[in-house]
Amino acid sequence: MAMKVVALAGNPNVGKTTVFNALTGMRQHVGNWPGVTVEKKEGVFEYKGERFLVVDLPGTYSLTAHSIDELVARNFLLNGNPDVIVNIVDATSILRNLFLTMEIFDMGLKNVVIALNKMDLAEKRGIKIDIRKMAETLGVPVVPMSAKEGVGIEELKETVYNVAHGKVRPNPVTPTYDPDVEREIRHISMALSQTELTERYPVRWLAIKLLQRDDEVMKLVLRYLGEEKLKEIMGHIGEAEAKYGRAMDLILASQKYEFIDNLMHRFIRYTKSEGINLTDQLDRLLIHPLYGFLALGIVFYVVFKFVFAIGLPLQGVLDDSFSAFGEWLAPHIASETLRGLLVDGIIGGVGAVLSFFPLVFLLFLSLSVLEDVGYMARVAVLMEKLMRKFGLPGKAVIPLILGLGCNVPAVMATRTLDEERDRLVAMFVNPFIPCSARLSVISFISGAFFAKHHALVAVSVYLLAIVVALLSARFVSTFLVKGEETPFVIELPDYLIPSWKTVLLHSWERSKEFVQKAGTVILFGSIFIWYLSNYPLPVGTGSSYAEKIGMFFEPYMKLMSLDWKAAVSLLFGIIAKENVISTYGILYGSADALVNAMTPLQAYVLAVVTTLYIPCIATIAAIRAESNWRWAAIVTVYMIFVASLVGITVWHLGSVLGY
Amino acid sequence: MNMIVPLSSLQPGERGVVVDIRGGPNFRNKLVAVGLTPGVTLHVIEAHPYGPMVLFVGGTRLAIGRGMASRVFVRRL
Ligand SMILES: Nc1nc2c(ncn2[C@@H]2O[C@H](COP(=O)(O)OP(=O)(O)OP(=O)(O)O)[C@@H](O)[C@H]2O)c(=O)[nH]1
Repeated sequence: MAMKVVALAGNPNVGKTTVFNALTGMRQHVGNWPGVTVEKKEGVFEYKGERFLVVDLPGTYSLTAHSIDELVARNFLLNGNPDVIVNIVDATSILRNLFLTMEIFDMGLKNVVIALNKMDLAEKRGIKIDIRKMAETLGVPVVPMSAKEGVGIEELKETVYNVAHGKVRPNPVTPTYDPDVEREIRHISMALSQTELTERYPVRWLAIKLLQRDDEVMKLVLRYLGEEKLKEIMGHIGEAEAKYGRAMDLILASQKYEFIDNLMHRFIRYTKSEGINLTDQLDRLLIHPLYGFLALGIVFYVVFKFVFAIGLPLQGVLDDSFSAFGEWLAPHIASETLRGLLVDGIIGGVGAVLSFFPLVFLLFLSLSVLEDVGYMARVAVLMEKLMRKFGLPGKAVIPLILGLGCNVPAVMATRTLDEERDRLVAMFVNPFIPCSARLSVISFISGAFFAKHHALVAVSVYLLAIVVALLSARFVSTFLVKGEETPFVIELPDYLIPSWKTVLLHSWERSKEFVQKAGTVILFGSIFIWYLSNYPLPVGTGSSYAEKIGMFFEPYMKLMSLDWKAAVSLLFGIIAKENVISTYGILYGSADALVNAMTPLQAYVLAVVTTLYIPCIATIAAIRAESNWRWAAIVTVYMIFVASLVGITVWHLGSVLGY
Repeated sequence: MNMIVPLSSLQPGERGVVVDIRGGPNFRNKLVAVGLTPGVTLHVIEAHPYGPMVLFVGGTRLAIGRGMASRVFVRRL
């Protein structure tokens, strides 16, 4: 017998992840919904010897066609045939949460269970809820819970089991509207009725969605009933709106809230008035236009220190252990080819992948804590205005700052952004931010060539890179990605002590996913570069493929006064940016020879180009993991283009100015 | 007098009832979904001259940009 499917639906931040983890424990799988980069989590729980498949839907406030998240959730509810829908409702904000519940009821779905979460918090705030009356009023079972404390999980399983087996038959209320609106709904239902379309979708839901001018439903009508019919219906809606003098979606929404409000009075009582609480007092400081930024600076500093001060040494240790292992292994392998492949290619590659693990894990740990404490929403509020100027939301400042440490975890951090469009832009510009590997190149060049002004030179490269990143963000968000900028309104949750179990589990899952997704790319990339540098003869002999490629590009490099050796070094820099200088050293025989071979201006051009030219292979892998191959390729090509453009400009400008 | 004013003109501590939202469907949807819809009562907690406003609506604390707040019309209570 197939497993029964349980869908989890709810607003953002209601504790869906906490409930999901409490239900499924470690038995979960994270992937993507087909065709889109919306995360899909599935897990299994057992009750009375039967296994249930739990599907976590994206957290949404409603089920319109305005965002991918909402469409994904709604399509699963309509077409995924879940046996039971668990609607998680935040007991501290019932009015808004029941809006989504009513959207689910509008769809004519019956097997709904309400998991009323955060009961502990509701109690503290003096919100009294009569559970029995609530269930009676809404017509569905209501399970009170405090998922964070594990309260109510067993009851939820039992209720799901009972509904799945028809032992409890929910009978949800039908949200009703004013007589005028009901008349419009009837009118449209008549126009649609008795067709293939209404066999597949509930007719009342179709009518309501048409009244809201829902794009997807309009497309459905077009497909099933033709243009004539759609025009007729939309024409009618236009007339109705003219009559009421207001958009139909607003009318429907406010009546839906009114409907909920009327129901709520039957089962809820507020014994304390909403006063200013501790959160509000903290917010006076934390989102204050001045103190807020100071606090933000401190928080960033701490996170940055935490991730990189612990992560980079760990990365070094892992890296060294793999090298040591390779060196130990090398003499035991007779075949030279096999030895090279195994030691330099595979062990080096696997080492590179695993050495990122501590960084990625610490990063996700910090992000989860910030998110769970409730601080992330405040970052979004503080930075919104500034970041919007560059086409990014406020929260996007976090990946940008993390990029200064390492772009790999930074690209992974773009997933904290809510809109796909924003995620794409943020990961596009991230590789421009100079990571610590590039710091080693920048500081070598500024130290070796600009003894007097080395700090100034280094800072100028950083500033140049940041300007390029921000301008690129503006450019990409204007020309390359679809979708309008999203209006800024955000929920500010109460500050809370995070649940360590959730935070650790979350970070662990994410980091594991990184190794799985990015691992193969990094591994094969390493093997490929190893091949280029050793065949037909090793680098240094002048006849490796790597050197041939370098020479092929020499005319191009000449445009910015660099030679084929630069091309080879940059090629190796794709594995890890710090390789640029060491490769140069090998090609010239020594670092001193390198210093004598270049003018300061040429060296400066090299520093700039190294900073901008291409994401390292691990970053490319991370971008691919977070979006797709196409996007990773576009980023790469764009960066090569920008680096060439800036390199050539700097060279010519510098020459004209007489450097 | 109960006047209808843009939300952005309310001061911290003031209350109002939303009467209208002016803007495109995407904009309206976003507000409606978080609970800002005609008919609801809101309570302004904080308003910085250049920053966003913080409101209490239906048990939820929301931050909303100035620009958006100027397109939400409320009746002062
Ligand atoms: N007081 C209290 N807090 C809870 C409870 N359940 C979850 N939380 C907290 O609510 C916050 C959100 O929980 P998550 O499980 O991340 O919520 P979510 O719905 O998955 O949120 P998104 O990932 O933003 O969609 C976290 O800070 C949790 O610690 C509960 O029963 N009581």
